[in-house]
Amino acid sequence: MSHNHGDTIPLHPSSAQSDMDEIESLIHAAPSPATVLPARPPSPTRASIPVSSSPAPSPVPTKPPFPAASIPISVSVSPVPVPASVSVPIGADGFGSPPNTLTEPVWDTIKRDLARIVSNLKLVVFPNPYREDPGKALRDWDLWGPFFFIVFLGLTLSWSASVKKSEVFAVAFAVLAAGAIILTLNVLLLGGHIIFFQSLSLLGYCLFPLDVGALVCMLKDNVILKIVVVTITLAWSSWAAYPFMSAAVNPRRKALALYPVFLMYISVGFLIIAID
Amino acid sequence: MSTQQEVTENYANPKTCFFHVLFKASALAFYILSTLFVNNFVIIFVITVLLAALDFWVVKNVSGRILVGLRWWNEINDEGESVWKFECLDGESLARMNKKDSWLFWWTLYLAAAAWIILGIFSLIRLQADYLLVVGVCLSLSIANIIGFTKCNKDAKKNIQDWTRSALLSGSVRSHLQSAFGV
Repeated sequence: MSHNHGDTIPLHPSSAQSDMDEIESLIHAAPSPATVLPARPPSPTRASIPVSSSPAPSPVPTKPPFPAASIPISVSVSPVPVPASVSVPIGADGFGSPPNTLTEPVWDTIKRDLARIVSNLKLVVFPNPYREDPGKALRDWDLWGPFFFIVFLGLTLSWSASVKKSEVFAVAFAVLAAGAIILTLNVLLLGGHIIFFQSLSLLGYCLFPLDVGALVCMLKDNVILKIVVVTITLAWSSWAAYPFMSAAVNPRRKALALYPVFLMYISVGFLIIAID
Repeated sequence: MSTQQEVTENYANPKTCFFHVLFKASALAFYILSTLFVNNFVIIFVITVLLAALDFWVVKNVSGRILVGLRWWNEINDEGESVWKFECLDGESLARMNKKDSWLFWWTLYLAAAAWIILGIFSLIRLQADYLLVVGVCLSLSIANIIGFTKCNKDAKKNIQDWTRSALLSGSVRSHLQSAFGV
């Protein structure tokens, strides 16, 4: 009885092995050496037949399962290379499947970019733990925030202006864009260690307080209120830009690097106050 | 056979190709038509530059990786240095990229930049400094994408060569196993 159970259990894997044997025979059928391979398996089959014939007289109904058992024995020898060939494409699939940004949905890309803009804004304009090491703060720099702030400031100023809206917008945009570039080149020429686009990104984010100030001044047409608001936002922008610029250059040349930054922000402040 | 091949060979991602061209064409068309018929510089500037920025983002983050399997960006490492990052699909996937998609991608990149250069020359001839500002911004975005993808393409070609070698090695390994089994 136990022998019968042992015989019946391998029958299930034997069917799978026979399927694999068929696949292998199909694979080998294409190359000519495949015809030589089946010639060798018959010899162990003949060896197995006498083994099955010796217990043949006692269990007459067991004769059919014994030849079936002998066939998987010979099959088990031949499918040895099949797992090797099967594992290779599995590894190839594993190599191709690791996810990266190339295969992510578009929405994930949008969310990541927006999160980065918000994160950079917080790091620059509000107190952050990297204030003593500004280079780490904007490691993941981008120019979308600065671009938006410059356009927003230009739009606000041009809306406030009663005449010459085009000139006001063009001057504001040119002053801010070219100003950021010139300030960065100034630091580089002073021998400072600064990365061009990171600096542009920082100076652009520092415009956020001035944007808020310009918006308030557009809504309120009071000169004294304008002066107060612009002074506060100007100080805030300067405070935000100070650690980055000062850390980038030699301490003895700090004033040379910082003065143009304050000058640009002051000129923007005057633009905000003067335009009515 | 050739006729059937021509019919079956089509754009693999028509929707992405459409958006890839749409934003470029809309920025150029809006700028040209507005300068001819509208006199409000602020509106022309804002809408044209926003369309150009949107085109830049779509090409860099969406159509670049779908049409040619490339993506690039710039980041700063721990030592405070600026590092270019390139990402491309593995060699097998790159080999299966659609040729028409790739052709459309590169040609539209170059044609858009050429168009902005021509428009810039016109603004220069007519001494319009404000419109030159618009062209300068749009041209900067186009050239940035061209430089980024050109570098990324060189990096990808190197990867393709590496993949080809590994494919040959795996093929030789398989044939070696078969010969050993035959013996």
